[in-house]
Amino acid sequence: MNDHPPTPVGILGGGPWGLALACAVARNGHPTLLHSRRAERPDRLPAQVAVTADLAALARHARLLLVAVPSDVVREVARSLGDVVDGAHFLVHGIRGLSGEGLTPISEVLREETPCRRVGALGGPALADDLIVGRASVLAVASRYPEVTDAVRGALQGPLMRVSVSHDLVGLEWSSALNGALFVALGYARAIGVPPALLGGFLTRGLHEAARIAVAAGAEEKSLFGVAGVGDLLAAMSQDDRPECQLGAALAGGATLAEAQARSTLRVEAATLVPRVVAFAKEHRVEATIFATIEAVFSGRVTREAVLSGLMQRR
Amino acid sequence: MAEAAPIFHFNDERSFIVEEVVARVSQAARDPLLLLNDAAWCEIRRLEARPGKERAEYERFRELARSLGRISESERRRRVEEVARHYAKDIAGNFDPRVYALSTKVLPTALSLLLSPKDLSLGLRASGKLREHLVTQGPIERIRALSRRGTVIFAPTHLSNLDSVVFGFAHDREGLPPATYGAGKNLFTNPFLSYFMQNLGAYRVDRRIRHDLYKEVLKTYSSVLIERGYHSLFFPGGTRSRSGMVEEKLKLGLLGTGVEAFVHSLRRAHPQRVFVVPATINYMLTLEASTLIADYLAEVGRNRYIIEDDESTRVERVVTLVRKLVMTTGSVVIRFGEPMDPFTNRVLDDGRSVDLRGRTVDPATYVTRDGQPVIDEARDAQYTRELGEAICRSYARETVLLASHLVAGAAFGKLRDAFPGEDLFKLLRHRDEVFVPGDEMERRVADLIDRARALEDRGLVVLGPGVRGAPASAVLEAATRAWSGYHTHAVLRPAQGGFVLGDTNLLLYYQNRLAVTGLGFHPGRRRG
Repeated sequence: MNDHPPTPVGILGGGPWGLALACAVARNGHPTLLHSRRAERPDRLPAQVAVTADLAALARHARLLLVAVPSDVVREVARSLGDVVDGAHFLVHGIRGLSGEGLTPISEVLREETPCRRVGALGGPALADDLIVGRASVLAVASRYPEVTDAVRGALQGPLMRVSVSHDLVGLEWSSALNGALFVALGYARAIGVPPALLGGFLTRGLHEAARIAVAAGAEEKSLFGVAGVGDLLAAMSQDDRPECQLGAALAGGATLAEAQARSTLRVEAATLVPRVVAFAKEHRVEATIFATIEAVFSGRVTREAVLSGLMQRR
Repeated sequence: MAEAAPIFHFNDERSFIVEEVVARVSQAARDPLLLLNDAAWCEIRRLEARPGKERAEYERFRELARSLGRISESERRRRVEEVARHYAKDIAGNFDPRVYALSTKVLPTALSLLLSPKDLSLGLRASGKLREHLVTQGPIERIRALSRRGTVIFAPTHLSNLDSVVFGFAHDREGLPPATYGAGKNLFTNPFLSYFMQNLGAYRVDRRIRHDLYKEVLKTYSSVLIERGYHSLFFPGGTRSRSGMVEEKLKLGLLGTGVEAFVHSLRRAHPQRVFVVPATINYMLTLEASTLIADYLAEVGRNRYIIEDDESTRVERVVTLVRKLVMTTGSVVIRFGEPMDPFTNRVLDDGRSVDLRGRTVDPATYVTRDGQPVIDEARDAQYTRELGEAICRSYARETVLLASHLVAGAAFGKLRDAFPGEDLFKLLRHRDEVFVPGDEMERRVADLIDRARALEDRGLVVLGPGVRGAPASAVLEAATRAWSGYHTHAVLRPAQGGFVLGDTNLLLYYQNRLAVTGLGFHPGRRRG
């Protein structure tokens, strides 16, 4: 239980993230309704969480709706959601990714597809499993509307969850998305035996590169050095079970991208994202060597040796 | 139809409005002591330097400052009311329907006299000319319909002191109801202008007063007017664009009163709808171009830029300008953008708000909590920021490119190509140095028109009436003809078989209208 009065919360998405958020919210004693298109009830879902397949029921249940669906369906889901919500709803997504060729932040997709204005995003190092089994963890939330960050904090902050708040929504969304790519690189580098010192140096460079790219997209630089930025990366150093890291390790082991994707439990957004990020950096004249290397790894164009020597080179 | 607008009853409501403003400002005052101290401190400092005329005002604030420590909380609140009332009365204008009727008849004639002063008997014909040369575009029918359903806030771009006159003229011609607006107090010092301003519902804004209490009174005044149905005109850029660029950032203070007024009105039996209409005012020639761009360069260049000559705006310059503008069809284009609600939703003819997917939205849902309308400063500030962003996007889309902008863009492109790698201030020093052969100039103009047309096809900009479908040679002709004899220093000087790039500052100024669209050089962004 926490200090916040019980307030209904709706969650969209029956996958691992939807389940995780439902667990965290229900643990704090809030009436929680989960919308899922799957026929069966997720087996680790707490008993007090109700499940519905009716979006309108979800919209009636709560003002705060947490959106946890894969990025490739978010537009379609948001469009249906737009038919049942109105200007009073708060939409907050927990999707690590940017949409389409234009790298549109997911919060923008929510605004385009629904009448809602008060949108936000979740980020930070918490893994789905932390929330499901109840390990102490940290999440970040960002919205330009203090009402929204207040509502999310009310829903998720508790003895087992610290919620860190920011108003730089663009910063959080870009930071999370770019970190997703750095996680893959981290998994890859560890698998090819990059020693810790070099790993630290490489991640620092990656972080600075991500910061320059995000700033070109309108983020505040300091957001990259907050919980959803550097905090996320620090945690990943010892999160061996991060799906992105596993994907990276699989690539290092000689798997093709398609094979590596097939082995992953969660959809890894980074694979489609990285080429677009590299193009974006080029267009904005931002130096992005690390991201270009990650792109080369995804495409299978480079050998492990080339990657390793690339990390050592100076220009 | 326009006579139904509430402004025609303003005088009956005047004292009610003033009292409403006073009541709201005093209710909202969280810390009367702080508010009064701040006001007294600012005013004493300001008035100290101006002995004489405003002595009484100075003494008033000295007395206030001295007594603040001694008086009780309720007495302080009473003092807040007193100061607020003093300001509200000063701000509140007057509206005289007779003056309005007179001005709508007089203004075109006065302007047409300016157009052809030698031909007094043909005033009517000249006024017809103005009609031709001032082009109005956009969803005017819808704006007219909306003005009967709620309050319309007109939010145009701001380039010139002529803007309010030209905008007012276009308004009247299109049968749009008169709009009230805040005019700088300095405009009230001229007795002739002052008479018109005062009686046309303009309210007085004293830009010298900078403390919060005054700003609160001003914003509340605007909010009460909007709530009561008075159509309003804001220039959300705050001041005239110095660079000539379309505004990319706005001052949100007055714009925010739109949201506030809407929330307030929801508490009444008949809520007042509020509609925002962005507009661009596009000139072939800008009256004060030389001084404005010099201001801009001095500001961004610091010591890298030295003002060489100071040009003032005199009556004969206005006359020359108006005569020049009349030579070319469509040399002033006012283009209204799509009306929206304060939450940036598109608005249909019947006043309904619709989202990007065309679903009807009730704007009240954005500001109600548990069914009750609630004012929330942080939330409303964000709505206002987003409204400002939407207005800027509309400005960029609805910018009308005229011959002078495109030709300046082509010429400035040549200047940059002639000195690759040089920074802006070095570039600008190459006055009267670069020769462009006529055929190259034409090719550059043609190329720019093609790129502009491609953007227009994507709905990102608008080609002016004299440009669409015209050959590059005609566009080049129109621009050079407009410039010649208006600006002291030739902008583009015809020379043997081509042109010499003359006043590089003015080339920058006119090409800056292309900057936001990406067609021209953008002085605020990195090269490329």
